Amino acid sequence: MTAPIETTGAQTDARPEAVLEGVEAKKIEGRSLGQIAWTRFKRDKVAVAGGVIVVLLILTAALSRPLQSLLGLDPNAFNQDLIDPNTSLPKGDFGGMSWDHPLGVEPKFGRDILARILEGSWVSLVVAFGATLLSNAIGVVLGLVAGYYGGRVDTIVSRLMDTFLAFPLLLFAIAISATLQGGAFGLEGLPLHISVLIFVIGFFNWPYMGRIVRGQTLALREREFIDASRGMGAGGPYVLFKELLPNLVAPIIVYSTLLIPTNIIFEASLSFLGVGIQPPQASWGGMLNQAVDFFEVDPQYMIVPGLAIFITVLAFNLLGDGLRDALDPRSR
Amino acid sequence: MISYIIRRTIAAVILLLVVTAVTFGIFFILPKLAGQTADQLAQQYIGKNPSPEDIAAVKRNLGLDQPVYEQYWNFIKGIVSGATYDLGPTTVRCDAPCFGYSFKDHLEVWPQLTSRLPVTISLASGAAVLWLLGGITAGVISALKPGSFFDRAAMGVALAGVSLPMFFTGQLALLLFSYQLEIFGRTYVPFTENPSQWANTLFLPWCSLALLYSAIYARLTRSGMLETMNEDYIRTARAKGLRERNVVVKHGLRAALTPLVTVFGMDVGLLLGGALITETVFSLHGIGEYAVQSISANDLPPILGVTLLAAFFVVFMNLVVDLLYATIDPRVRLS
Amino acid sequence: MAAVAVVSSAGLLLSACSKADDGTEDTPKGAGVNAATKGVVNESTAKGGTVTYASSDAPESLDPGNMYYAYGFNFSRLYARPLMTFKPGAGEAGNELVPDLAESAGTPSDGGKTWTYKIRQGVKYEDGTAVTAKDVKYAVERSNFSRDVLSLGPNYFQQMLDDPDKYKGPYADKSDKGISSIETPDDHTIVFKLNKPFAEFDYLASMPQTAPVPKAKDTGVDYTKKVVSTGSYKFEKYDEGKQIVLTRNTEWDAKTDPLRKQYPDKIVVNLKVNKATIDKDVMSGDTMIDIQGTGVDAQTQAQVLKDEDQKANTDNASGGRLVYTAINTKVAPFDNVECRKAVEYAIDKVAVQTAMGGPIRGDIASTVLPTDVTGYEKADLYATPDSKGDVTKAKEHLKACGQEKGFKTSISARTDRQGEVDAATAVVEALKKVGIEADIKQYPSGKYFSDYAGVPAFNKKNDIGLIMMQWGSDWPTGYGFLQQIVHGKAIGQSGNTNLSELDDPAINKLLDDAIGNTDEAARTAAYTQVDQKVMEQAAIVPLTYFKVLLYRSPYATNLVSSSAFSGQYDYLNIGTTEKK
Repeated sequence: MTAPIETTGAQTDARPEAVLEGVEAKKIEGRSLGQIAWTRFKRDKVAVAGGVIVVLLILTAALSRPLQSLLGLDPNAFNQDLIDPNTSLPKGDFGGMSWDHPLGVEPKFGRDILARILEGSWVSLVVAFGATLLSNAIGVVLGLVAGYYGGRVDTIVSRLMDTFLAFPLLLFAIAISATLQGGAFGLEGLPLHISVLIFVIGFFNWPYMGRIVRGQTLALREREFIDASRGMGAGGPYVLFKELLPNLVAPIIVYSTLLIPTNIIFEASLSFLGVGIQPPQASWGGMLNQAVDFFEVDPQYMIVPGLAIFITVLAFNLLGDGLRDALDPRSR
Repeated sequence: MISYIIRRTIAAVILLLVVTAVTFGIFFILPKLAGQTADQLAQQYIGKNPSPEDIAAVKRNLGLDQPVYEQYWNFIKGIVSGATYDLGPTTVRCDAPCFGYSFKDHLEVWPQLTSRLPVTISLASGAAVLWLLGGITAGVISALKPGSFFDRAAMGVALAGVSLPMFFTGQLALLLFSYQLEIFGRTYVPFTENPSQWANTLFLPWCSLALLYSAIYARLTRSGMLETMNEDYIRTARAKGLRERNVVVKHGLRAALTPLVTVFGMDVGLLLGGALITETVFSLHGIGEYAVQSISANDLPPILGVTLLAAFFVVFMNLVVDLLYATIDPRVRLS
Repeated sequence: MAAVAVVSSAGLLLSACSKADDGTEDTPKGAGVNAATKGVVNESTAKGGTVTYASSDAPESLDPGNMYYAYGFNFSRLYARPLMTFKPGAGEAGNELVPDLAESAGTPSDGGKTWTYKIRQGVKYEDGTAVTAKDVKYAVERSNFSRDVLSLGPNYFQQMLDDPDKYKGPYADKSDKGISSIETPDDHTIVFKLNKPFAEFDYLASMPQTAPVPKAKDTGVDYTKKVVSTGSYKFEKYDEGKQIVLTRNTEWDAKTDPLRKQYPDKIVVNLKVNKATIDKDVMSGDTMIDIQGTGVDAQTQAQVLKDEDQKANTDNASGGRLVYTAINTKVAPFDNVECRKAVEYAIDKVAVQTAMGGPIRGDIASTVLPTDVTGYEKADLYATPDSKGDVTKAKEHLKACGQEKGFKTSISARTDRQGEVDAATAVVEALKKVGIEADIKQYPSGKYFSDYAGVPAFNKKNDIGLIMMQWGSDWPTGYGFLQQIVHGKAIGQSGNTNLSELDDPAINKLLDDAIGNTDEAARTAAYTQVDQKVMEQAAIVPLTYFKVLLYRSPYATNLVSSSAFSGQYDYLNIGTTEKK
């Protein structure tokens, strides 16, 4: 497993084989998989911290709009009285920080940065979760099918994965997002941009999950319980989704937790390049894109969304690492 | 062995063909989805107030009136045997390997790619050296004393490294070291002209890229090392009384690094196809920047050219890795 | 392309400009704010040295017959001599049209339908062959009638020349005869016959398209790589996408040319240099001119304006351009003039101005014609307190329009033009206050006119009622400015620039009559009237009169910011004091 593009640093070094082996090994003790993992996870203070931050982030994103009205913030309201018209910069030091605008205001419009960070949080997470779901759905189904049926089916799916992995992912994503900007599939505006992002990020990322699931399925299909199931006359779909899939939940969860931060960076990259979320809708990548024009004279405006991305991605990575360690006793 | 090489090569060529076909299909279908007609496409190449005859002529010259499979066939044919474009008074001969002709810039794509390739290669190779050195060293030291202060610190930095977006660290590095402290330059100079200035301008992009990748490599190396050092044969080696350094380097490291070869091949292949973000942030005129510019100019031939080149690098590096494996990993069967 | 100001008019200097201080010439200290918009800065006849330009991009073409950017028109005169050109001069003075390749301005006859030019004796190409009238004819033919080959430039000659045989251009029509309506009775006379009277033909003759091209040396689209010079400099090196080097043209003769001085030995243009680097290099003296002439970027502006010494090296020049929002008169509910008036009142122009970079980037506008185009007269039909919008009045008009509760619409802007998107953002915010919900739709500028905002059917289908636009005329008169954006005939099915789709018989007639009228004063009065009528129709919301902030290199000599080239420095005679 590796970084598919320069932007997606956090491509996981998860070793699902190990996860699975670990789980199998511990079954002997008679405790459930969840119990073992949870005990082990609780001991990992850093991972717990990551998990807490992740939960807080998800809550913030989900409650972003109510939170804004509660705090009296409006991500699109202008405060141009706080801007020096000649330089377009916020008046005062530190990007116009004040009690009313604790993170300062952005140049040109004077919109509140805190409000825009809040507003951007749900966009980031919706896209990242959506894309992860999409690539998981494709990857799991194709991986299961390829691994279980083997033979020609496996060859075709594997070749398909090779082909997808040979695509310059970021290039494609940019080109497609740029082409579909004007409107497509009967959608427009924000729903269009979010759907396009989920599609391009999710659709080209599935082979990573596909490979993992295929490998695991290959190993599992020779096990006795699968044989037994087949012997009792269970059909393909039943075996795939009722017998095999539940045994793959652990690696899928670990890998997903590590794919989300990758997708967050991916979304931000596209918005940074101007082909993702479009203004006036706030998004973290979009804020960085705007901040580049002023990064020398108003670094504050660049640092805030940059830190937001950093903290979010770091938290997900910590959580993912912790989950992996908890499910894989051999990694520490 | 030879038949193995031949089989892998044929598979790689087929993969390339499939990738180009899909690329071509996507770029042909997408504008249609967005509701664009060949007429409108042609009109983008002409300025204001074009007459219908003007548009028809441009369409003919650009081959926009042909069906998509024919355009694809001409494109593939061009790579092998070159192509000729009729541009009114002059015909442009685009020699093999013809990667297309940009009607917007009136330039062949291939020379553009080759003139930009040195930049991208300089960027990718320098960064690769840095991240291999940094990542593997950190990974090995961490693995030797898991739980030590160094291990915790290194893994903390690595985790931070993978969590930082490239366009943020790069921009921050530019601001600090180039704009404020003025240590590093910003105008790329070819290595052949002035090696020290070449390194000077590339240093920041190298480091920004290397930070990201060495973080991943450190984590991979560490977990690989931890795993192998627990293997029975390492215990055997120690029991034989081999010196610890020999155990680590000859036995542990070798086994731990073998899987890294795959990862490294893939990463370098992808980077050679253009480091889009890095090149954009640092204004390096490499392959990636060419792609980004062509996309915003809606200029199809260069995008196709870059995609093909990038796919070529990925497939080529995969092939190299496959062949390497055949020599370094005895477990690979050549049947 | 259409919105690129190619030539602008009289730089009526704005009161905001402060006086030049008495900075002395021998120090590299600044000559004062806006000094080059009022007079020649660093005037010098010193010869030698290299003048370096830099561009953040690479020009699409340097072929004088295949370009449309103002900086291209400006720069091309170093190696290509059109029939007429603008005399180097500061601000307004730069607008004076003088003969270049021609001996004198054109002589109209047949009520302005026929124009005759005499070409100077003794003008030669860089290879020593003599320039003839036939070469000028050929240059016009190739640039205007072969649009499938040379597509970048304007095609006014194609529209205006009498052309009963539908001439196909020299590449398709290989006969030696060429178009019948351009006659060359002898080697030094050229006669243009038009399909209707056109009083401002001299402006067309100033386009680089009239610079002679030898037919034998023409290679179509590739001519840009081997342009045969008639000017004071010729190409030494054309390194695609990297560098252009011009050296003295030894066949150029000062006796045939009252304008060019040939000061520096060499002219170097470095291409594709990072914009921030260009700004820094210009300030340090490593580069003398940013060739694109679009001014410093936002953060350089912020830095320069804080520092009095650096500020003294800047010119805040008027661009002859208008930033505006076109209101689409064919998209409901804007087919009702009351709804359009509501928008005129609702928009907070100060917010738009601040979003676009403040007064440095443009003064608040209230007329269609910019202050420096003939026909401009001060007016503000929809005045609001401090130009900050008037919610009450806007709501009154909404009521009259039957849309008391407000409505939804869309506003288009060009993705890759940050200022335009920023302005649209400010417009949306102001409209929200009166109950109009506008959704910003962004399209790439390369396709803005061909696929999106310039396609009336597209606007109708997508409910795009408001269209962001920036417009500069192709020549600095009211007709040049107005015809393309408000004349009914300019409406096209695609590539449309009359974005309001305004087709008012009175406006059309005023413009048609004016251009046939050889009385300049009467023409100017008519342009003012058109301006008023467009505003009465509320088809356009003028936002700002565009300005650029240029940084003046202390090492470059003979700098004048010319109104004729969107406020850019006139490139004809820039020299250098620092010999490298």
